[in-house]
Amino acid sequence: MKIFVCIKYVPDTSEAVVKVNAEGTAVDSSRFSFDINDADNYAVEESVQIKEKYTGTVTVLSIGPKESEVMIRMAMAKGCDNAVRVEDARIAAFDPLLLAKVLAGAIKGQEFDLVLTGCMAADDGQMATGVALAEELGVAHAAMVKKVEILEGKVKAYRELEGGLMEVVEVALPAVLTIQTGINEPRYAPIRGIREAQKKELKVVGLDDLGVAAGDVDASASRIVVEKLYLPEVVSSAEFIEGEPEQKAEKLASILVKGGLV
Amino acid sequence: MRGMIMSTESQTFTEKFDLLGCIQCGRCTGGCPVTVRTNLNVRRFVYDAYSEEKLEELAKLAEIWDCTACHTCAVRCPKGLKPLEVLIGLRSMLVDSGKVQSTVRNALESVYLEGNPWEKPKATRYDWMEGLDVKLAKPDTPVENLFFVCCTIAYDPRLQVVAKNMVRLLNKAGADYGFMAEGESCCGSEIHTLGEELLFEEIVGENTAFLNDFQARRVITLSPHCFATYKARYPHLNKPVLHYTQLLAELLQQGNLSWGHDLQKKVVFHDPCYLGKQSGVYDEPRRLLKSIKGVELVEFDRSRERSLCCEGGGGKMWVESESKKERLAETRIKDAHNLGAQIVAVACPFCVLTLEDAMKALGYEEEMRVAEMTELLAELA
Repeated sequence: MKIFVCIKYVPDTSEAVVKVNAEGTAVDSSRFSFDINDADNYAVEESVQIKEKYTGTVTVLSIGPKESEVMIRMAMAKGCDNAVRVEDARIAAFDPLLLAKVLAGAIKGQEFDLVLTGCMAADDGQMATGVALAEELGVAHAAMVKKVEILEGKVKAYRELEGGLMEVVEVALPAVLTIQTGINEPRYAPIRGIREAQKKELKVVGLDDLGVAAGDVDASASRIVVEKLYLPEVVSSAEFIEGEPEQKAEKLASILVKGGLV
Repeated sequence: MRGMIMSTESQTFTEKFDLLGCIQCGRCTGGCPVTVRTNLNVRRFVYDAYSEEKLEELAKLAEIWDCTACHTCAVRCPKGLKPLEVLIGLRSMLVDSGKVQSTVRNALESVYLEGNPWEKPKATRYDWMEGLDVKLAKPDTPVENLFFVCCTIAYDPRLQVVAKNMVRLLNKAGADYGFMAEGESCCGSEIHTLGEELLFEEIVGENTAFLNDFQARRVITLSPHCFATYKARYPHLNKPVLHYTQLLAELLQQGNLSWGHDLQKKVVFHDPCYLGKQSGVYDEPRRLLKSIKGVELVEFDRSRERSLCCEGGGGKMWVESESKKERLAETRIKDAHNLGAQIVAVACPFCVLTLEDAMKALGYEEEMRVAEMTELLAELA
């Protein structure tokens, strides 16, 4: 199996105080910690498990700054074989459709069986890059995959849908799978492995190296314009229901019925 | 998948842990505090680990994660061996294979990436200083006492008060001190016991170079875990290391600290394993408590080198034991309750967390309090 796994270096905003910069155009990330996007971490593990079972190679692909190389080396410590990091200031990184074009540019022209990536990035939450990448590559895809079985010339993908439904689809190879968290238990990247991973190839390329025209992936090519970023206004609209339990229940039921919630 | 590594490059497992030195007397297992609630039998591990072909199987046993690295086995061993290190060696094999539980993985990766095991950003490590009149240390400025704040104290909202109170006490005593406002990073205590040997080696190298750069007479640690680790595992550190209770006892003796209030309470001191058994500091915390007017200091039956471990060390903050039997912290709090103690005084961030949880679980909140030493002292100063 020849596998590409696309990963993203994202800030951990779970407990952080989020502030927007003075221009109102971006989030101030100076006090955040950065690491591999959670869902991408599962995609790395799944890629390595598939390789361990069926042999082959796994190439890490990421668009990001030099600092993200620590994340790439960790992925290689877990068993990925080589990596390509794309860095080019012209890329409109806020637009998942354009990121998909860049990723496709790094993959096109090479043989592959599978491209795995997380189903969603923790920073922008668009859930679009993986699916758009399949479109750019002209191959089939399955999104939100919770289980993968490799068959002859195809994969059986178990897709987690709303309401706990599991949809099972067969997808012809080559294909793109966007991986849902919980599909496996990502392993630890030991320092011994990280040291060994320093010997593996990590290519750094720009748009010109990939043969991707800047005009196709820069802000002018995007159909998204970031007008303004702001934190939602904090408002208080809680209503405390007073009275005896029976009265409380009656009032609550009445509110729910009036609101069309039941 | 890389195979498990049976031995270090130069030594076999048997040589590294001096397994042939063991006489199987059983003093290790006899003193091990966790045997009352888990299946861990450290003597058995020392015996079995002699067979290199068994190591891979041994490393998969859940019991290796029950050890709290309290060092009771090492203190009791008549041959001067450290049986617990065998368990850490087995953990190392598992860590090298990458197959550790997610909580351990997250703690280790967090130290590698952010310099703390709590998955917090480097940039917010010094937030506890906000609004405080704290003196900062600079490498080129001589200072008497260079403070090293433990990761847990720096980030945990319950424990930041330890560092804050320390600043208040130092300012009151007019002490010559400095805290670090950049470059401070995990001491590696829990990384060592979780078995990430190579990461620990890197941490020791980096912290040694960083701390040696300061023109300080000595380093003062807030946590006994940092204290024991710097003392025992940093061979090239160029300054002596003290625990803060030693410094405060010194300031008290010199007449630079005094208490403005008395405290009419029955107090019991819980010896942290890393401060007592591992570092031999027993008297200074007691001296501080005895200096408070009104305090009736009582002792646990199991005190000083026989102190009962709270199960907070040895990486146990990230590994839950499978046992559902009573936690040792609960046993400890019950003992304190039976003594009629109103305050359980501790001098370790992990002991605060485990004992306070146990006190709440037992419903003793109205009757007693778990207090970090600096909390008591700053209230009285």
